[in-house]
Amino acid sequence: MTTYDISKKGDALRAASAGDFDQLPIYMPEMECMDRAGIRALQLEKLQAQVRYAYDHVAYYRDEMDALGVSPDDITSLEDVQLLPFTDKAALRETFPFGMFAVDMDEVIELHASSGTTGKPIVVGYTRDDMDVWSDCIARLVQMAGVLPSDRAQMAFGYGMFTGGFGLHYGLQKLGCAMIPAGSGNTERHIQMIEDYGTTVLIATPSYAMRICEVGEQLGYDWKRSPLRVGLFGGEPCPPALKRELEERMHIVCTDNYGLTEVMGPGVSGECLAHRDQQHIAEDHFLWEIVDPDTGEVLPEGSFGELVLTPLDKQAIPVLRYRTHDLTRITTSACACGRTLARMDKVRARCDDMLIIRGTNVFPSQIEDVLKDIEEVTPHYHILVETINGMDALTVQTEIRPEAFSDSFEAMNAIKAKVKAKLDGTLLVGVQVQLVEPGGIERTAGKAKHVTDVRDKA
Amino acid sequence: MTVSQISVFTESKPGHLVSVLQKLEGAGVNVRGYSVSDTGDYGIARFIVDKPDSATAALEAAGAAFTVTPVLCLKLLDKPGELARVMGVLAACDINISYSYSMISTYIIINVPDVDQVKGILEKQPVEIISQSDITAGVAAR
Repeated sequence: MTTYDISKKGDALRAASAGDFDQLPIYMPEMECMDRAGIRALQLEKLQAQVRYAYDHVAYYRDEMDALGVSPDDITSLEDVQLLPFTDKAALRETFPFGMFAVDMDEVIELHASSGTTGKPIVVGYTRDDMDVWSDCIARLVQMAGVLPSDRAQMAFGYGMFTGGFGLHYGLQKLGCAMIPAGSGNTERHIQMIEDYGTTVLIATPSYAMRICEVGEQLGYDWKRSPLRVGLFGGEPCPPALKRELEERMHIVCTDNYGLTEVMGPGVSGECLAHRDQQHIAEDHFLWEIVDPDTGEVLPEGSFGELVLTPLDKQAIPVLRYRTHDLTRITTSACACGRTLARMDKVRARCDDMLIIRGTNVFPSQIEDVLKDIEEVTPHYHILVETINGMDALTVQTEIRPEAFSDSFEAMNAIKAKVKAKLDGTLLVGVQVQLVEPGGIERTAGKAKHVTDVRDKA
Repeated sequence: MTVSQISVFTESKPGHLVSVLQKLEGAGVNVRGYSVSDTGDYGIARFIVDKPDSATAALEAAGAAFTVTPVLCLKLLDKPGELARVMGVLAACDINISYSYSMISTYIIINVPDVDQVKGILEKQPVEIISQSDITAGVAAR
């Protein structure tokens, strides 16, 4: 049997592709590899205590449950979670800032707020135990990517109120990594620090990682010889094609994780190297359900629907049945990596990302899927939705690859026509395609803004 | 004897052509002739320059989409019917011109599907074909 040195560039991916998962680290095997019956028993025990705790300490839940005629004693099985009310972002907004807090501020050791892409911010708090759980969740998912205590991890997220920066920081530190809190901005300085400090792990949004990659290439930095080994992505969905491209161009292994401020932050689930399109949910800390986004009806395992999460041991804010508005599918089948925790498909679409174009549902992720298979363009894109002559008009802007350019309008128009034909066929609505220069689609350090909707509002 | 034309993909938006030109300027490249054509949302800017290698290095570093095409540069006589005469030679050989533009008065650029073939044809005609070294030296000084 081949022995791998996971601290060596490329070995984690080599071990994974050879199926030698026993050589990859698992942070908490007693939890991550527990049998399914054990997980469910643990979840029920925690759920019962958590519902009682929320009822006793948060007036909002006491009122809601009383109105529904539900008592904490009614929770006798995991399915009984369906008796409880859903929680939406609106509830957190209405009780802004601290109305949902179940503890005194004495016990809160940190506050964070959502990045506020929609509406007013949501503020959340953490007790010391909450921070411990959060750090454990992060330590688990970074180990899935092969991060080791000996690693040096450079943060390219902004710190601030956003949960991504400090969340990853504490978790990596808990594992034992040396944190390099560079923060966002100054791409050339990031590259210099990677080289000077021997950075092995980079934490960034995938679009910013691409920016770092490109700037490095322009400066003549040799990513193959760089100490950098792992990219940990978050803050925005990571298109599979972009991840593959970064792995090839930077010679690193990249994973991304899922989470949201309202239930904790990053670390709710993380990608292992066996199923690169899925993420293991920290089921000892989160109970998941998949519901019909329109009716709220709970769907059977394997169905595609909206993810609903109940944190099972959150002390500062014990949110119940949080509607994430993220669409996914979950399986509890065995994973080659050895973990038994359920896997969710990576979130490619949010209920509120969906565009309705002339009556047809269009998800930006579909556009991504089409572009990643067309070699003449990059997977970067921007969608413009306008009203033209009273009709919805969808324009997809995508970057021409430098090597695909030729000195001929016929050839360029043929590329445009090819992209258009593939998009039309997949989306089932006609689109306009606009080719833009390489690098012409904005790479941001924050959430990539893929859609500009300037339609006349009826 | 061909000259190197550098074609650059540019979006049809204010500032995009300037940004390409500034890259050339930054590399100390002198533009001897150019043509810009456009489709409404993107265009191709074509340049004849004194230092093609410096120009391509600068564009490469900027990550631009560009390509280098060998084209013919002809010096015509400055008299009526001269352009018709040269084009007539190609028409008589049933050669389609992909595009053509003039540089400085009687200097014109033409691109055709098979540059070498047309070069051979024109070499037998009373028309002067300009080389890259002439461009580099400065055609205006001739």
